[in-house]
Amino acid sequence: MQTLTLPGSGRRGPGINWLRGLVVVLAATAIFLPLFLIFYQSFLTAPFFMPAKQFGLDAYRFIFDDPDFSSAAKNALYLALGLTAIAVPLGGMLAFLMIRTDLPGKGFIAPALLVPIFVSPMVMGFGYVVAMGPVGFYSVWAKDLLGFIPWNIYSFTSIVIIAGLTHVPHVYLYASSALKSLGSDVEEAARVAGASPLQVMFGVSLPMITPALAYAGVLVMFLGFEVFGLVLVLGDPEGHMVLATYLYKLTNKLGIPSYHLMAAVAVCLVMVTFPLVMVQRYLLKSANKFVSIKGKGARSKVMPLGQWKWLAFALIFGWLMFTIIMPLSGIVLRSFVEYWGEGVRLVDVLTLQHFREILDQPSLVRGIVNTILIGVVGGALAVICYCAIALAMHRKPDMISRFLDYSVLVPRAVPGLLAGLSFLWVFLFVPNWLDGILQGMDNGVAVWLSENAIPVLRSLRSTIFALWLAYSVVWLAYGMRLISTALLQVGPELEEAARAVGASRGQVSRDVTLPLIKYGLLGAWLMVFLIFEREYSTGVYLLSPGTEVIGAMLVSLWASGSTDLVAALSFINISLVAIGLGVALRFGVKLHN
Amino acid sequence: MKRDLTMNELTVNDLHLDYGTGATANPILKGVSMHLQKGEVVALLGPSGSGKTTLLRAVAGLESPKQGTIAIGDRTVYDGARNFELAAEHRNLGLVFQSYALWPHKTVFDNVAYGLKLRKMGAAEIKDKVADVLKNLGLGHLAERYPHQLSGGQQQRVAIARALVYNPPVILLDEPLSNLDAKLREEARAFLRELIVRLGLSALMVTHDQAEAMAISDRILLLNNGKIEQQGTPQSMYETPETLFTAEFMGSNNKLPTKVVARDGNHVQLDVNGARLTGTARGASQAGAEPTTIIRVEEVKISATAVDNAIDMPLLTCMYLGDRFECLFKSPDSSAAGLRAYSKYKLEPGRYWLQMPADKLWVF
Repeated sequence: MQTLTLPGSGRRGPGINWLRGLVVVLAATAIFLPLFLIFYQSFLTAPFFMPAKQFGLDAYRFIFDDPDFSSAAKNALYLALGLTAIAVPLGGMLAFLMIRTDLPGKGFIAPALLVPIFVSPMVMGFGYVVAMGPVGFYSVWAKDLLGFIPWNIYSFTSIVIIAGLTHVPHVYLYASSALKSLGSDVEEAARVAGASPLQVMFGVSLPMITPALAYAGVLVMFLGFEVFGLVLVLGDPEGHMVLATYLYKLTNKLGIPSYHLMAAVAVCLVMVTFPLVMVQRYLLKSANKFVSIKGKGARSKVMPLGQWKWLAFALIFGWLMFTIIMPLSGIVLRSFVEYWGEGVRLVDVLTLQHFREILDQPSLVRGIVNTILIGVVGGALAVICYCAIALAMHRKPDMISRFLDYSVLVPRAVPGLLAGLSFLWVFLFVPNWLDGILQGMDNGVAVWLSENAIPVLRSLRSTIFALWLAYSVVWLAYGMRLISTALLQVGPELEEAARAVGASRGQVSRDVTLPLIKYGLLGAWLMVFLIFEREYSTGVYLLSPGTEVIGAMLVSLWASGSTDLVAALSFINISLVAIGLGVALRFGVKLHN
Repeated sequence: MKRDLTMNELTVNDLHLDYGTGATANPILKGVSMHLQKGEVVALLGPSGSGKTTLLRAVAGLESPKQGTIAIGDRTVYDGARNFELAAEHRNLGLVFQSYALWPHKTVFDNVAYGLKLRKMGAAEIKDKVADVLKNLGLGHLAERYPHQLSGGQQQRVAIARALVYNPPVILLDEPLSNLDAKLREEARAFLRELIVRLGLSALMVTHDQAEAMAISDRILLLNNGKIEQQGTPQSMYETPETLFTAEFMGSNNKLPTKVVARDGNHVQLDVNGARLTGTARGASQAGAEPTTIIRVEEVKISATAVDNAIDMPLLTCMYLGDRFECLFKSPDSSAAGLRAYSKYKLEPGRYWLQMPADKLWVF
C-alpha cells in the first residue's frame, strides 16, 4: 500500500514562525512602549512636547519637596496595610464558613459575594456618599431614629474600613478555592480529637491554607496601593489623598499640564507595585505546590455550627448590608429622586428626570453606547489578542515564551490611571516622533506617509480604539490567566496526536486546540466584558469627544458636581454589570480560578 | 513503490536524549540503536523509567534527541551531527497514544478523516477510505459517534484507525493495551496481533508487560536505564537470557541462596543450604563466588521421592490459580525466601523434593 504523504512535505527545516514573531513584537510594544514613556518623561524637566526640555531630576525634587506628596504616600501605605489587615482575616473566615460549615443562606450569599469585585469602586464610593454621607438616605433615617448620625464616612479611618470590607471577596475567592482543594480529612481528624468548629478553623484549616492567604494578602495590599475612585470620592471633603489621587490632582494644581511631575509620581507608584506583583508571582507558584499536597478529596458532611450558626449568619449579613446593600440601594434611590435632604419624604420626590436628562445629552448617550461596545466587541477582540499571545507561548518552552510570561505581568503593576495616561502620551508622542523621522528622510514614500499615515495615527487618540488598547493592556495579566487556565485543560497528547497525523503547528491550533477551549474562551469573553464595564480609571486621561465611557465620565461628572447624572449613570453601570453577572451565573461560568 | 523485503523501515543509530539542559540535564537515552524491517513488529520492553516511551516519542518527532540518527525508510528524519530534525508532522508515521488522545470535539469519522484532510484528499475519496478502515477495525457502525460515547476498546480501535488511515510505513503504539481492563486486554491483544498480520503492518510498540510483548511482537528490545539490555525473538529472550536483568524481567523466577563450590566450563556446582546442585552459568560475566542463581517457577518439578539435582523442603501453602496450583515451599527455620512451583493438583502437607534441571538453573 502506498503511503499517503503530505502535500509539499519535502525537505523542510524549522522555518521562522512569522505569525508568532508578529504577536510577540506587537505585545511587547504595547506593553513596554507606554512604560518606557513614563520613565523617559519622569527624567525630563518639562513635558515632552515642550521645546525647552532637558534631562534632569527636577520632577523628583519637586514632588519630594511637596508636603502633599509625602502625606499622600503615607496615606497610601496606611490604606494598603489597613486594608490588608481587615480583608485577609475576614476573607479567610468567610471562606471557612462558606465552604466547610452548614451556614444558612449560602445559596444567596455566594453570588452576592462577587458584587464588590465587579462593581466599579467609583460607583461604590458614590454609593457610600449618597447612602451614608452627611445627608445620605441611611444617615437621615438614622438621625430620625437616634437624633444624631453615628458615623462619619469622610474620615480616613472610615475610608480604610470601607476599602478593607469591599476587598474581603478577593481574599475569599483565593481562600475558598484553597479550602476546596484541601481534603476535609484533616479537619475531621481535629474534630474527632475534640476540637470545636472555631478551634478547627483557627487551629487547622486557616493555617493549612496559609500560602493562599499570603498570596491573597499581597494581592489586596497591591490593590490597596491602586485604590483611586474610593479615595477620590470619599477623601475629597476632608482632603485625604493617596498617591493615585495626588497624581490625578497634580493636573489642576499647577494649571498647566505637568506631565513630568505626573510621570515622577507614576514611577514612584510603579516602584511600589512592581515588587508586589513579583512577590505575587512567586507566592502563587509556591501556593500551587502546597495545594497539590492534599488529603483525600472525598466529599464530606459539612460541619454543624450548632448555636453559632445564627451569630455567624448575622455577622455575614451585617457585612453584606454594609458593603453591598447600603451603597447600592443608595444609588438606586438617588437615581430616582429629584433631590434629597432632611425632612424630605421619599414618595414626594420620585422621578425619572435624571434618565431623561441623560438621553438629552449626546455625549452621555455615546458614553453608554461606547461602554456596551467596549465590553462586548472590545472584550471579544481583547480575548482574541490574549488568545494569540497565549498560543505564542503554548507548549514552546523557549526564551521567547519566558520573556512573554514575565512581560504580561508588567502591565499588572501599572495602575489603570497611569496606563491611561501613558497611552495618551503614546498617541501624542509617537506620531510626532515618527513625523519628525519621516520629514528628515526626504523621499516620496516618507512624504506620502507623513501626509497620510501620521494624521491617521494622530486621530486614533480620539477614537475608541485608543481606549480599547489601553483597557486590553491594563487587563492583560488577568486575561492571560483566564486563557491559560483554559489551555491547561487541553491534554498535550491531543495536540501531539494531530502532529503525528501530519498537522503543522498552525493547523494543530486551529483544528484541535482552539475548538477544545471554545467554551473557556466564551467564559473569558464574559469575564473581560465584566471588567471592561467596571473599569473607570484607565479612561480618565483618554476621555475626549468620541471616547466617552461611563467609568471615566463618572470621574469627570463627579468633579463637576452633577450628582443627579452620576447617580443615574451609576445605576446604568450597575445594571450592565448585573446583566453580565446574571448571564455568567446562568451559564455556570467559573467566575474565578 | 516496491520495497526490498529486507529493507529497514526504521533505523535508529546511537541515539542519545537528555531531559533538561546544562547542569540539570538528565540522560534518558544513552546510545540506543535499533532497526525495524518491513512487516516486522518490534516491542520496546522495559520497566518504567527505562526510556522506552521516550525512544518512541523521539522516533515520532515529539522529543528532541541530543545526538545520533533516525531514519524512516531511506529518509533521514533526525541527524544530530547535522543538527537536522524533521518536524513530527512531516514524518508520516502513525502513532497510537496510551490514552488514545481522541479529539473529543470530533466524531469518529472526523477523527479518522483528519489526517486525510491534511493530505488534501477529495471528500468522496476520504469517505471511502475512512469507511474502509473503520470496517477493517469493526467500527463501521460507529462513524457518527463522539469518542465519549464509545467503550474503552472501541476508543482504542478508533485510535488505531486514525493512525492507519493514510498507510504510514511504520505504526507506533505507546502502551496500546494498558488502558483496558484485564478481561478486555486479552481480547485486544489477539485482535491487535491478528490485525498486524492481516494488514502486514510494520509496528513499533512500547509496553511494560512482558507477556504482551511476547504475544504480539516478532522481536523484543529490552531497555534498561536508557540502554538496550538484550534483543531477540520472544522465545530467545525468554529461554536464553544473557543477563540477570533480562532473566528476571521476562518471567516469574525463584531466587536461590547459593554458593559456588566448583566450576567446569559452563557447569557450576552449587551449595544451597548444604544440598548440592548443578547449574548452568549464563551471560558474559563469569560469576564470582556468590552469584545470583535463578530458576523459572514453571521449571521446578515437584516430587514426593528423592530425585536427582533437587532439594527437599516442607510445603507451606498452596494457592489456587484456576488452571493449576502455585505451591510455596519454605523451611520454618530459614529466613530466606521460599521456593515457588506449580502443581497440577493440590498437595498434601509434608516434605517434597524440588527438582531443578541443570540446564534451567541459571547462574549469573
